[in-house]
Parts: sequence; structure tokens; C-alpha cells
Amino acid sequence: MDMDMARDALVQEARELLVAMENALLEIETDGASSEAINAIFRAAHTIKGSAGLFAFDLIVSFTHIVESVLDRVRNGKVQIDDAMLSLLLNCGDYIGALVDAIQNRTENEEPDAARRVVLEKQLGAYLEPPAEAPAAAALTATAKEEGPQQIEGSGGVSSDNWHLSLRFSPDVLRNGLDPLSFLHYLSSMGRIVYLHTLTDNLPPLSQLDAEASYLGFEIDFDSDADRAKIESVFDFVREDSQIRILPPHSKIDEYISLIALMPDPGRLGDILVRGGALTEVELEQALQQQQGQEIGQKPLGAMLIEQQLVPEPVVSAALSRQKQNEEKKSHEQKFIKVEVSKLDQLIDLVGELVIAGAGANLIANRKKDAQFEEATQAISVLVEHIRDAALTLRMVPIGEVFQRFPRVVRDISRELGKEIELIVTGAETELDKSMVEKLADPLMHIVRNSMDHGIEGTEDRVLAGKSATGMLRLNAYHESGSIVIEVSDDGRGLNREKILAKAIERGLVTPDHNLSEKDIFRLIFEAGFSTAEQVTNLSGRGVGMDVVKKNIESLRGEVEILSQAGQGTTTRIRLPLTLAIIDGFQVMVNDEVFVIPLDLVIECVDLAGHDARHNIVKLRGEPLPFVRLRELFELPPIQHNRESLVVVQFGQQRAGLVVDRLLGEFQAVIKPLGSLFSGIKSISGSTILGDGRVALILDVPHLVQQTAQQQHSLTQSAVAGLLTNNKTTER
Amino acid sequence: MSNLPATAASSRLQGAEQPGTQQFLTFTLSSELFAIPIEHIREIIEFGGLTEIPMLPPFLRGVINLRGAVVPVVDLAARFGRNVTEIGRRTCIVILEVEQENQMLALGIIVDAVNEVLSVEPGQIEPRPSFGAKIRADFIDGMISLGERFVIALDIQQVLSVDEMATLIGMNTNEELAAAPA
Repeated sequence: MDMDMARDALVQEARELLVAMENALLEIETDGASSEAINAIFRAAHTIKGSAGLFAFDLIVSFTHIVESVLDRVRNGKVQIDDAMLSLLLNCGDYIGALVDAIQNRTENEEPDAARRVVLEKQLGAYLEPPAEAPAAAALTATAKEEGPQQIEGSGGVSSDNWHLSLRFSPDVLRNGLDPLSFLHYLSSMGRIVYLHTLTDNLPPLSQLDAEASYLGFEIDFDSDADRAKIESVFDFVREDSQIRILPPHSKIDEYISLIALMPDPGRLGDILVRGGALTEVELEQALQQQQGQEIGQKPLGAMLIEQQLVPEPVVSAALSRQKQNEEKKSHEQKFIKVEVSKLDQLIDLVGELVIAGAGANLIANRKKDAQFEEATQAISVLVEHIRDAALTLRMVPIGEVFQRFPRVVRDISRELGKEIELIVTGAETELDKSMVEKLADPLMHIVRNSMDHGIEGTEDRVLAGKSATGMLRLNAYHESGSIVIEVSDDGRGLNREKILAKAIERGLVTPDHNLSEKDIFRLIFEAGFSTAEQVTNLSGRGVGMDVVKKNIESLRGEVEILSQAGQGTTTRIRLPLTLAIIDGFQVMVNDEVFVIPLDLVIECVDLAGHDARHNIVKLRGEPLPFVRLRELFELPPIQHNRESLVVVQFGQQRAGLVVDRLLGEFQAVIKPLGSLFSGIKSISGSTILGDGRVALILDVPHLVQQTAQQQHSLTQSAVAGLLTNNKTTER
Repeated sequence: MSNLPATAASSRLQGAEQPGTQQFLTFTLSSELFAIPIEHIREIIEFGGLTEIPMLPPFLRGVINLRGAVVPVVDLAARFGRNVTEIGRRTCIVILEVEQENQMLALGIIVDAVNEVLSVEPGQIEPRPSFGAKIRADFIDGMISLGERFVIALDIQQVLSVDEMATLIGMNTNEELAAAPA
């Protein structure tokens, strides 16, 4: 494997582990300490240290080591985990994150923030016993220099609880370019060699001695927190022709048993033991091979392992009973393979081309009026549609990827603000396009911060208002008719209508004689340069933010709206399309131009003839429906035509009509962005290529309607005839 | 990159460190001759298949489908502040590549006719005049002298500056917004 890839893999793994660690810490904070969570934290820190050690990223190893030592004391019950320690460990996690970033940026030899590290180390030191660590490396240098058996003083006095390693290197090891001494050196980077005995039994008389052969064996007592696989990995290069036997310390046996008991979904015996750390993958493989080698009287794996002293008997029996317990519960664990994003994108591009080419074929088939041909293309279209849907789901990821960072954010901010806030996350499994997940994080963060800062009151105010002392913040996501809805709700004081209006008038955003609906007023907070906080805190309130949030969401073809009840709370609702690549479109024609309306928005199509269509409002089944003539909006030349059609669209709670010349029907539109050159055109969201090769424009309906409404606002200075007039019956 | 001062670009064009001939494509625009360095040009296609986009300033004629990619088409004459190009028998779209934020962006320009490819010696290129040409000075990279007459070599990064054009488009739609009848 090339080093860059290995480095990337390390960085990715470390990030995942840090997330796991953070989750476990937060879990302890809410639900109290459990050995499971503590073990999870320990394992995360430990694995990071181990992987970094392989690359000799010493800064991360040395720092993580201290964290790990503290965690080890927690695990052994020597120190109780408390609030202060949780905060400290969270900060340490952040610092490890910074070190991991440094690895990614290839600045791993520079300390990202030396001062912070000193502070953290000092705080960590407080949890460690005074004679914390024996200088392991120094001790080993001593062993290495003096040959022969030597007892090394144990400083902690815990020598009984050591790993025991029996090493019999193959005689060829030196010829293969490997020096046994270097393995011992490396071993000492993981712990302390307490006792080392050199076996000289195989040493031949001097006359027969081959200077290039290795004759020595070693018996080592080794004090380390490393797990079995880790220790075994030291000997990766010599494992094949040497005898390496690793016996766990006594305390480990108990640990294995407890780990096995906690395993969520055990599989086969060997797997259980490997995952519990009692056995390594390689040892298992060897044992299985041996097992298959015995043709008659195959022994069960467990018995074999005990016989060969690979695994102590109590561990095997614990694993066996655990396996039995769970045999019925077949694991539904999802299986994943990692695929490069670029490959996926390429596939989706190709599917896009396929959709366009398919539409072209359809067009020809329809023209040829050959029934069989038409039938064949029809069958292909159905398949293409399935392929398209399947390909698009490949890019879908659960929104939980974004949500998972919020527990920590909420915790930190609520402390900073001195408010008690509880976060409830629902719908984390709701899926959306991967490219959107990345762009959603910042806007959501901003909304959450705003809610916590401005929305949720301080504890005293809450109690005075008769609410529970703890504020509630809720993140929710769900699918609704072709889009994904993400809500951030709080049970705070709600938006203050009057304050917003006063501010907007002061800033000149609206005139005092406005006639705005409540929704329009709330929408004002998305205007650039708007902030209602009387006191500007360092979290929010600088007036940059909500307008950026809106811009970000709109760049994803989404929309954001605010619902608020004074004293009850505020909900910010973001509505996004599921994907950015291909949509179901509805083709319409104005003059000779084809336009595409996203099909999800289309409710129905009505013949405009026979309706009283004055004032750009029609009465549809007794309800007024404002509409816009695309011809007028786009300033296309008028033509002689016999009839017009009305396409009724709905987005969010609003309905409007679009008047067009002809309806052409449904079609799969592969979205081709128009690029930055056209970023100023709000009423068009993109383009697509039709079956005949022409380019058609995709309408951005919410913007288009909003724009029309603004035109009318600016003309009449009143909102009476606004297209945005809420359809009262649909809303209430 | 698109905002590089034109002088820097012209010094590259006349650069002493790069002696040797340069190749330019010449084309006609309302009976005037212009030239573009050949390395900017991706291909030349017949005019057609243009989709107009509403509410655009006149210099942006619309978009075309270039083998699956949607490419904006600029009316060069309108961009120079003249009348919109009349489409004739020899009207072509020249597809160019311009750099924007380190990405190559394909753009088409409408020209009345494409003429020839010129090989130009460095000595043939004169610095741009401070005035006298009928187009914006920063659009001109240099003057190629061809015996008795000059051909204007265009600074494509300036002429097709995406930032500038996007700003103009934004302004145009906003004006329409304010002026359009309901």
C-alpha cells in the first residue's frame, strides 16, 4: 500500500474513532458512567495511539499515551470520572483531532498548539499517580546494551500482571535483513519490558557457529496496555518462520470475559475471541488451518485453543456461552464497501447521459409510429428510470452524519451561555444526497446557535415563564413529497414580531406603512444585515448569518422558513430537494421555448379558458389562486394562440399558477448547472438537455413567484395583491 | 486570474523570454478584423441550436448544447457595446476556454465569419494604443501589424471576464425587476 493511502486511512480511522470517543463521553455525561462507554473511550484512544505509532507520529503517540493512562486508571476504578474530567477528555479529543489534522496537512512534526497541550497535559497529570510512568525507552536501551539475562527494576511494583512473550526467532532472521533487537526496541515503545531472559540453549559450539544465524530465544515479561493484536503486530515481519507466543496477563483474562459479555452481536467462536482481543486474526487462522489438517477426530476450535495455550480456558467458555445466547439473534449488520466518490459521480454522469439518450430514442420511436419500436423503447425507459433511481440512492447518506456533531456543540454552547439545554435528535436515518450533507453543516450550525443564544431563555426566565428549567432543542428530519425537510425547533421565547418590525423599519428594510403577514415578517430576519439581539454575543448577533444561511440553502435549490409562537418557541424549517443531479420534470411550452417545472411541485393542470382570469387571479374550486404568465415574466413576444393552460404548483404552504401555451408532459431532466455566469438569474435554477438535443431551462418556481410578488410590491407599495398571499384554507 | 491587469497579459504576449512565432485565429465582426491566440480556442461550430434565456443583457445570447455540456454564448459585438450580431450564412460560434477560479470554463462567441490562422512574429506585435480603437482599451492585448493595416488581438480573459459579465447580468435582471410591469 502506498504511504499516502496509508496516511489517509489513518486520518480517516482516527477521525471516526474520535467521533466514537466523543459520543461515549457525552453518553457518560447524560446517562452516567458505564464500563461499556469507558471501554469504548479507552479503545478509541488506544487504537489511535497504536496506529500513529506505526507511522512514528510521535506527537500524537506521546499525547494520546497520557490520555490513555488516565483512562486506564478510570477503567481500573482508581479514579472516578467526573464532570471536570469529561470536559478535559473532550478537550483532549479535540486536541487529538488537531494533531490528526496536522497529519493530514503533513505538518505532523509541528505542535498545532503547544501552549494548549501543556495545559491539557498538566490537567491530565493531576489524575495520574506521582510516579506515573517508568522511562520505558531508557530501560530498554539498557537491556539492549548489556547482553544476557537481566532483571529490570519495576517502579510501579505491578510486575505480576504482565504479558508473557516467548520469542524464538528463526535462525534465518538476520539473513532476511531483520534484527531481533529492533523488534524489542519497538516493543518497548508500547510498554515496559519488565523482565527479559535470553535463551542460549540453541547456541552451538563456537567452531560451528554461523555468524549470520540467530540462535537466541527470549522470554519476556512485558507491562503494557496494548492489546494482543497490537503486541502481535510488532512481530508482523517475522511471524511466518518464527515462533511467537503471547500469553495475556491475568487481569486481561477478566477483561476479555467482560468484553465478550458486552459484545452486541457475536458471530462464530473464533470471531468472538478475535474481537474481544483474546486471540489475534493470525493465530486464529493458524489454528483453523491446523484444525482442517487433522483429518480424523477434529477437535472443536475452543478445545484446540486451550490446548495450545493460545487462549485461557475461562475466556473460551465465556465466549462459548455468549455465542449460544445470541445464536437466534441473527445479525442484521449492514455490509459496506468503500467506493471512491469520483467513481460514483462518473456513474451518475453516465446515467444522466443514458437518460438523455433514452429520451432521444423515445422521440424517434414516437415519430416513426412503429408500435413494436415504441414498445421496446418504452421497456428501456422503464429500466433506465430504475437505474437512475438506484444510481442516485448510491449517493444518499443518512443526515445523521451532520446531526452527530451537534450533541457536543449544544453541550459546549449551553455551558458557555450558562443555560440548561437538552438536545433531542430524531430522524437521523433520513437520507439525502451526499453533496448536500457537506453543505448543510454550516447553515444548521448557525441556526442551532441562534436558537440557543436568542431563542431559549436563561433558566430563571424559563422558570418565571412557567416552563421547565431545561430548555429543549430538537433536530428533526423527514421525507415529504420528493424533498427532505430538516427542522430545528426550540421551546424558547419565540420570535418577537414587534421587535423584528421595528428593527426592519429602522434599517430601512420595510416602510412603516407595511402590510406584511406574520410569515413575511419572520422572513425579514434572513435579510442581510439583520440582527435582533440587543446584546451582541460572541456566538451570534453580528448580523451576518441568517442571510448566509438562506443563501446556502438556496444554492442547494432549497428553501427555509420560520414558524414561531411567542412564548412557545421557534421552528426553522429547511426544505431541500433529495438530489441535485436528476429530477422528474414537467415540460411546458411558451412560444417556441420549452421550460421544465420540477414535477414534485406540480399539483394539477387546468385549461385557463372559461376562467375569469383578470387581475392575475383565478378562482379555482372556490379558492383564489394567484398566477403569473410566463410570457409576460420573460418578456417573450406575444403570439396568436387559441388557448392557454394553467399549471398549479405548490411549494411549502404556498400555491400559485403558471400560465403556459402548451403542456408537453413528464420527462426526466438531467440537471446541467448554468454556472456562475448566470448566478444573477433567480427565476431559473438550471438547464437540461431535451431528447432532440435542445437546451431547456428549469424554472425555479419559488423564486419566480417571489420575484413576481416583489415586482408587484414595488409597484403598488402594498402587499394586497401579492402572489405570496397565503392560501388561508390550506394553511389553517 | 480574469482580473489580471491587461498590461501583464500583454507583456506575456510580447515577452522577450518567449521568442518565436505565435498563432492567432482572425475573424470578422461587423467587417472589422480581430484576432485571438489559438491556444484559447477549442473548436469552431456552425451557428444554431441556441436556447435563449429570458431577462439577459443583449451580449449574452443564450446557451447551446455542446455534446452534452451546456455552454453560454456571448455576442461579441454586443459585448463591445455595438448592435446585436445579425445571424447570417457565415455566422459561427467559436468555442473558447477561459480560466475562472482555476477552472477552465467553455464559452462560445458569435462572430460574423472566421478568416484564417496567422503566424505572427514577436516583432509584428505592437503595444495597444491608449486611445483610438473603438473598443474598450482593456479588451485589447496588442496590435498585430499586417503590412498596411492592424488587427486587434483581444485579451480574452478581459473580454470574457466571468465576474464582470455575471455582475452585468445581475444588474440587468434587477433593473428589469424594478421596471417591469406587473
